[in-house]
Amino acid sequence: MDPNKNVIVKIEDLHKSYGQEEVLKGISLDILEGEVVILVGPSGTGKSTLLRCINQLTVPDAGRVWVRDVELTDPKTNIDLARQHIGMVFQSFDLFNHLTALDNIMLGLVHVLKMDKDAAREKAMMELDRVGLANKYENYPGQLSGGQKQRVAIARSLAMEPVVMLFDEPTSALDPELIGEVLVVMKNLALDGMTMLCVTHEIGFARDVSTRIVFMEHGNIVEQGPPEIILNNPKLERTRQFLGKISDLH
Amino acid sequence: MEIFTTLIPYILRGLNITLSVTAIALSFGLIFGTLLAIIRVYGNQALARLIAMYVSVIRSLPHILLLLIIYFLIARIVNLTPFWAGSVSLAIISSAYQSEIVRGAILSVPSGQMIAARSIGMTRKQAIWYVIIPQAIRHMIPPWSNEAAIVIKDSSLVYILGVPEIMRQAQYYSGRNPTKPFNAYLAVAVVYFVLTFITNRGLDALEKRIRIPS
Repeated sequence: MDPNKNVIVKIEDLHKSYGQEEVLKGISLDILEGEVVILVGPSGTGKSTLLRCINQLTVPDAGRVWVRDVELTDPKTNIDLARQHIGMVFQSFDLFNHLTALDNIMLGLVHVLKMDKDAAREKAMMELDRVGLANKYENYPGQLSGGQKQRVAIARSLAMEPVVMLFDEPTSALDPELIGEVLVVMKNLALDGMTMLCVTHEIGFARDVSTRIVFMEHGNIVEQGPPEIILNNPKLERTRQFLGKISDLH
Repeated sequence: MEIFTTLIPYILRGLNITLSVTAIALSFGLIFGTLLAIIRVYGNQALARLIAMYVSVIRSLPHILLLLIIYFLIARIVNLTPFWAGSVSLAIISSAYQSEIVRGAILSVPSGQMIAARSIGMTRKQAIWYVIIPQAIRHMIPPWSNEAAIVIKDSSLVYILGVPEIMRQAQYYSGRNPTKPFNAYLAVAVVYFVLTFITNRGLDALEKRIRIPS
């Protein structure tokens, strides 16, 4: 890690349990400006929970989270204000079903950032163009393919000018032939220098664009490091075994 | 000919009141019912339980009995005309049913919609208003159409309070023309049918109009 870069996300000793089951067992993780961190691990090991604990969509039981210099786990923090600049993309897209692609992006600009409508429309069109869907601006989510929906969802987050983007298995619900178009958008985003934390099983994407791979299991970070080391020469046999399995699949 | 000169004017005098009672009961019932539903889904637990109880009490009593109970309760507190007391009573009854309709519609909106709205920094209130309610409205129309039909017919109940809506007018008429009671009641039946038919057709059209393209 480059000590000259700013820490964008700082996670300190994060704990979360659902009933008897402890899903996060004291996670600490720093993400620097411009880093693309890929979170991998078997399902049910708390990757999504960790992501949601960052923007407090899930409230952790203990531990602290900062984004930039704002502590999100501080009850005095205005969480709505903080979330404005933390982008999140979901496995199930979750576009607003009653709004066109353009209006999906405009909604936050108008009601959260209080932009005037004309400026918001212009900005929203720009973001749609960035994900290659300017021609679909009038389409409703029900009229878009899965890949297109996810690209609009990414545009919706980007329009808010986030300091970090959180991706929660963004391609897991997509047909194989639609995964590529979403990964291209994400790759361009990474090349533009966006700070990203991404839960995914797309090992190819991790190899190509990530700066770090974090392997999680049973609520702990087991091993982490640059992709060339984690993918080719991990310290732990368990990491090798897991990555070997998902590489076979993809 | 007598039908046109006396019967129809009689009924028409009541029609205005029937329409007003229905409109008041439905609209206040909708506002109040929506509020109850939102509190029940998003509000605090104790309040939600209280509302659930309110709804189940109202749903288990005959409307005519409720009308009398609420009417006499209202009469103890404020001095309302029978017209307003009757309309408000029907609104209270309808609010219980409408709150269930709205609640069902809200719950049918996928949970990811709220999460996505919050993730871009919307407050809970903004998310409910701009994301959840607009989608819930679309799910609401068919059951609401049913409730509207019930309230149109329930508006006749206020006649026991002496409010001269069309049922009451028909009774007056029959009282004065005891040889032809059938005409008046038949005319009233036609009016209810037409009102309900038009309302349901109108709501069907609205549902199609605001349907989300897919």
